[in-house]
Amino acid sequence: MSWIPFKIGQPKKQIVPKTVERDFEREYGKLQQLEEQTRKLQKDMKKSTDADLAMSKSAVKISLDLLSNPLCEQDQDLLSMVTALDTAMKRMDAFNQEKVNQIQKTVIEPLKKFGSVFPSLNMAVKRREQALQDYRRLQAKVEKYEEKEKTGPVLAKLHQVREELRPVREDFEAKNRQLLEEMPRFYGSRLDYFQPSFESLIRAQVVYYSEMHKIFGDLTQQLDQPGHSDEQRERENEAKLSELRALSIVADD
Amino acid sequence: MAKHGADELSCRSGSLDGEGRASEDRSLLRQRLAVQELIDTEVSYLHMLHLCASDIRSRLQQLPQGDLDVLFSNIDDIIKVNSRFLHDLQETASKKEEQVQLVGNLFLEFQEELEQVYKVYCASYDQALLLVDTYRKEPELQRHIQGIIEAVVPQAGSSGLSFLLVIPLQRITRYPLLLQKILENTVPDASAYPVLQRAVSALQDVNTNINEYKMRKEVASKYTKVEQLTLRERLARINTHTLSKKTTRLSQLLKQEAGLIPRTEDKEFDDLEERFQWVSLCVTELKNNVAAYLDNLQTFLCFRPHEYSLDIPEGPAVQYCNLARDLQLEAFLTFKQRLEGLVWQPLCSLAKALLGPQNLIKKRLDKLLDFERLEEKLLEVGSVTYQEEAARHTYQALNSLLVAELPQFNQLVVQWLGQILRTFVTLQRDLAKQVLQRAEGSMAQLPHHHVPEPAFRKLVEDALGRTSNQLCSFQETFEKVLPPPTTQPLLPGSERQAQALLSRYGPGKLYQVTSNISGTGTLDLTLPRGQIVALLQNKDTKGNSSRWLVDTGGHRGYVPAGKLQLYHVVPSAEELRRQVGLNKDPRCLTPEPSPAPAPSIPTVNQVIAVYPFVARSSHEVSLQAGQPVTILEAQDKKGNPEWSLVEVNGQRGYVPSGFLARAQSPVLWGWSLPS
Repeated sequence: MSWIPFKIGQPKKQIVPKTVERDFEREYGKLQQLEEQTRKLQKDMKKSTDADLAMSKSAVKISLDLLSNPLCEQDQDLLSMVTALDTAMKRMDAFNQEKVNQIQKTVIEPLKKFGSVFPSLNMAVKRREQALQDYRRLQAKVEKYEEKEKTGPVLAKLHQVREELRPVREDFEAKNRQLLEEMPRFYGSRLDYFQPSFESLIRAQVVYYSEMHKIFGDLTQQLDQPGHSDEQRERENEAKLSELRALSIVADD
Repeated sequence: MAKHGADELSCRSGSLDGEGRASEDRSLLRQRLAVQELIDTEVSYLHMLHLCASDIRSRLQQLPQGDLDVLFSNIDDIIKVNSRFLHDLQETASKKEEQVQLVGNLFLEFQEELEQVYKVYCASYDQALLLVDTYRKEPELQRHIQGIIEAVVPQAGSSGLSFLLVIPLQRITRYPLLLQKILENTVPDASAYPVLQRAVSALQDVNTNINEYKMRKEVASKYTKVEQLTLRERLARINTHTLSKKTTRLSQLLKQEAGLIPRTEDKEFDDLEERFQWVSLCVTELKNNVAAYLDNLQTFLCFRPHEYSLDIPEGPAVQYCNLARDLQLEAFLTFKQRLEGLVWQPLCSLAKALLGPQNLIKKRLDKLLDFERLEEKLLEVGSVTYQEEAARHTYQALNSLLVAELPQFNQLVVQWLGQILRTFVTLQRDLAKQVLQRAEGSMAQLPHHHVPEPAFRKLVEDALGRTSNQLCSFQETFEKVLPPPTTQPLLPGSERQAQALLSRYGPGKLYQVTSNISGTGTLDLTLPRGQIVALLQNKDTKGNSSRWLVDTGGHRGYVPAGKLQLYHVVPSAEELRRQVGLNKDPRCLTPEPSPAPAPSIPTVNQVIAVYPFVARSSHEVSLQAGQPVTILEAQDKKGNPEWSLVEVNGQRGYVPSGFLARAQSPVLWGWSLPS
């Protein structure tokens, strides 16, 4: 906690045992990491779902543009194929929107809520640190007076300073105790908190891709697509290209 | 053999129609000779072809393979066809009487094949000649080639390669002539006559078609090239010739638009072109849309939410991370690759293929304008120049080329598009299958996998509701960690003052001065460190929030906010424990604000100026400390409560609201009134 500069000299006595300090730093460190990860996860999740939506929309555009081409009016086969494709794309877009909504509700919102606790935590830690500084300062003062020659005014002053120290020390210890208790609890709460979100995320994929498999499976059947391998398809493409190139009106390049 | 036959005939020729018979015999003889010539020349032709294809070509190995392909083109196919042709020809020799008819039929049989195979050779002949020319320019190479040729075909002479390469052309054009010779010497009522006639015209057709094909190919290759010219090159191309061409075309077009001259309506072509435009549009749009889709897929794949595991070592979180990683690295990657290879690449090829016909259509229009103008001229003048004739032919060639090939082009493109779309659909299905397989596998390991979806959603909702409350309570806990109590010592005698301020204003309003303040303006206070003050307003009359109006119990004035610190009346340890105990309350309650202590002094409804104010404008009015004023409005025209409209001494004007106070018994707080 070296960001708060000391205004007054350090006390000689180590007022906070090293183990306590180490424990505190460890717990707080874990929470800081968790904060970072939560934030990043939320951001990336949002970007991922945005890209997902964009993909779906551009798929819909493919079939929409095809449908509006005059070629479809004249060619019955083409028309029925493009119409079927269009229906499929629109349905998939609707399912995709649903999936994204579910993710928004069960993953992104909870992440946001979880992240909103951190500012309060950070403020609390800062205040504990302030209390520690005050405690140290007064402790140093007490020690200063304790070392002086015990005259009347010194004794009076010593008594007064000791009286000031007491509430400050109690305040710090209370804060310290409180945080040391609450921080691990908060950290541990993430386990129960996030498991439903991840479960929901997986299930959302299953729901969406089940639909997609069914819709495109049906469409594949309908369009009478033989089960070609990729090499076969490539060869078909090559063949078509050669046929085109055989025409004189097509430029050779 | 021929001579023997001739002797026979001359013996037979008798008395009466000796003359007619003689001429008939002579015809027959000539016919037989012509047929023999056909066969003999075919034999030597084929022999020459073999020499070229095998001996010479194999020795020209130092030329690159591409060159050899251009030079010799499809000579192997020619050899195949002509070998069979010769074989069948030689067979006809055994059937003497019918031989001529058989020969005629043979030609008709082979007509199609001959056309197919020779048109290819003829079309590439010009290119071959160009290549030969380039060789001529390299003396070393030329000598080498000559050497080879002279060794194999001495009679080639100095023209070498070009002599050899032209032979097939010569042969195909000779067939009609040879047949014609046979026909001339055949009696019209012979059964062979009509067959021969047909054969002659067939071979003539073959030659015409070969020429047509060649011209189309030339025209196509001249105009399909989409040239990448720089601006400078384009400018360099402009000369008077091209300018005049263009201006003539433009004027022709304008005349058509103005209706001065009729436009050649070619419905067939227009329909074709329209369909081509639709096909082009389809390809272009689909290509762009697929590009956008691929871009979005790429973006989707670059985010990796599964890489942040939140330090959760097991359970659904880990399941999800594994699943998402697998999907990205395998299922989606494969999908993307297949999409690129089987959908995107073909679309790119299609888009490129569109350029040739687009160019040709443009050129055709240009040439059409030329053509129409020339038609006019032809009508008026009756003749056109040689160049103009060529221009007319160019248009006709272009037009017939497009009309012949565009329908096939359109059909091929549409078929291919259909194929591409079907592939796209299949790719989507395959992706879904892959993802589903893995996701179902992950789901099977989830705690609630047996729960149907609607019930699960309710479960999640409830769970999230509960945990959200828990989060609230955490937040509360942390917020209850208050700032530490101030540890600065109180000035002697100020404790009583602090208590008085406390009971008047409440604990939340007390601040302690952290370092000495020296006031500069008339309204600023000078305070020592440690002094307790009460906050009246956390900004000044101008809205400056770093200047606060405070009450010291004796004076009121402004101090810099940065030198104040919230003063906590030091809570006892029990009070702290009580505060911590409050956190155990599960309900998410906001703590009630501590009510401000009610003032214990009865107020009199009189308003007094607390201290002096000097009016700075005509809207304001001056005050003296202690002056009674009457408040007319407790805010200014804009509703700002910092200013009040008052009447004092018969004058009206605005004064800072903070400078006013309801009159209290002035004795209690020890206000020092200026004398």
